[in-house]
Amino acid sequence: MPGVSVNPSRVLFTAGLTGRTPDGKLVPGGMAGQAHRTFERLQAILGHAGARFDDIVKQLVYVTDIDAYNASGRAERAKFFGSTRPASTGLVVRRLADPAMLIEVELVVDLAGAPQGKPLLEKYNVEDHGGNFYQGVIVNGGRLLYLAGQVANNPDGTVAGTGDWRRQAEKIYENIGHVLRAAGGTPASAVKETTWVLSIDSWREHSPPVRRAFYNGDYPASTLVEIAGLAQPEFLVEIEVIAAVA
Amino acid sequence: MPFSTIATPEAKPVANYKMATRMEGGRLLYVSGQVAWDANGNIVGKGDARAQARQVLQNLRGVLQAAGGDLKDLMKMTTYITKVEDRPAVAEARSEVFQGELPASTLIVVKSLFHPDFLVEVEGIAAVAS
Repeated sequence: MPGVSVNPSRVLFTAGLTGRTPDGKLVPGGMAGQAHRTFERLQAILGHAGARFDDIVKQLVYVTDIDAYNASGRAERAKFFGSTRPASTGLVVRRLADPAMLIEVELVVDLAGAPQGKPLLEKYNVEDHGGNFYQGVIVNGGRLLYLAGQVANNPDGTVAGTGDWRRQAEKIYENIGHVLRAAGGTPASAVKETTWVLSIDSWREHSPPVRRAFYNGDYPASTLVEIAGLAQPEFLVEIEVIAAVA
Repeated sequence: MPFSTIATPEAKPVANYKMATRMEGGRLLYVSGQVAWDANGNIVGKGDARAQARQVLQNLRGVLQAAGGDLKDLMKMTTYITKVEDRPAVAEARSEVFQGELPASTLIVVKSLFHPDFLVEVEGIAAVAS
C-alpha cells in the first residue's frame, strides 16, 4: 500500500532479520533459502507478540542483488505475506552483516490489545543469537520519538573525527544521548536503531566499546547496513533511532 | 499538531531539518518509499534527479492527503539517492515544497533502488489527526 495508518497503542519494531541460523551461519540455497529463512524468523518474532503477517504496517527490504530477489526472493516472500500489502520500501545496498548475505528485512507491526498494565517497552529475542540487540521491541502506549539520522557533527557544524571511526561513533552516540534526554528519554528508550556505514568491517573494528557503553546492555532492535555514501563526504556513519517515552 | 519538535543546543542538525519529533496524538502513518511514477505507472524524469524528486514529493504529498494529512504532518522522512552528486538537486526540490524546516531527516546513498531508472526514493512517517 502507498501508506498505512494505525492507532499507535501497541507497536512492534523488529530488528533487521536475515537468513541465519541461531549459530550465526547463513542457510544454503542462495536467495531463495535466505529469504525463506528470513521470513520464517520474522514469523516467529511476530508470533511471540501475538501478531501475524496481516498485522504488518511497514516492511523494509534490503537486498544486495536485485536480480536474485526478483528471480527467487519475491516468491518466498509471497508464501508468507499472501495478499497482505503493508507500506513498503526496497533498497539495494552494498553489503549486509555478512558479505554472503543477500537479504535483510525489518518490520513495523500493529499489535492488538490495550497498553494498560504493560511495561512501556518489551524487548525480546526468540533465538539465542548472542548479538548486542533485541530481535523485537514492543512499545505499549507512550509517545514514539523519531530522531533524524545522527552524524558526527559538533554544535558549531564542524565534523568531529574526520577519517576517525572511533571518534565519529563517540560523537554520534553523544548526540543521540542529548536528543533522547531533550525528549524525556534515556539510551534505554531506544526501540529501533538503523546504522548506515561506509564500511561494516571498520565499524565492527572500532565501534563496539562505544556502543556497549552507551546502551549498557539495554539494546534496541537494530539493523546494520553498508551503503555507498552519506550527505557529506566526511561522514563515515549515520545512525537513525526510533525511541519511545512515557 | 499531533507531534512536537525536539531541539537541544548540545546537538544540532547539519541542515534545515528537525533533530527529532515526538508523537503526541493522532494516527501513526507509514508511507511506502515513493518513486517517480506518475498515476499511469510511467517513470517521470528518466535520468533527471530534480524532476524525479519533484514527482516523488508530489506522490508523497498525495499519500499524506489521502490519509487526511499533508507534508506538514511528517515527523520523519528518509531520502534515498543512487548518486551522491544528485544531492543538491534533490535538496532544492525538497525546499520547494517544504515551508521552513524539514521533518527529522536522513539521507542515504544506496547502490540502487528497485528499478535501475529510479534515482530518488523518499519514505515518510507522519502523525495525522484522528
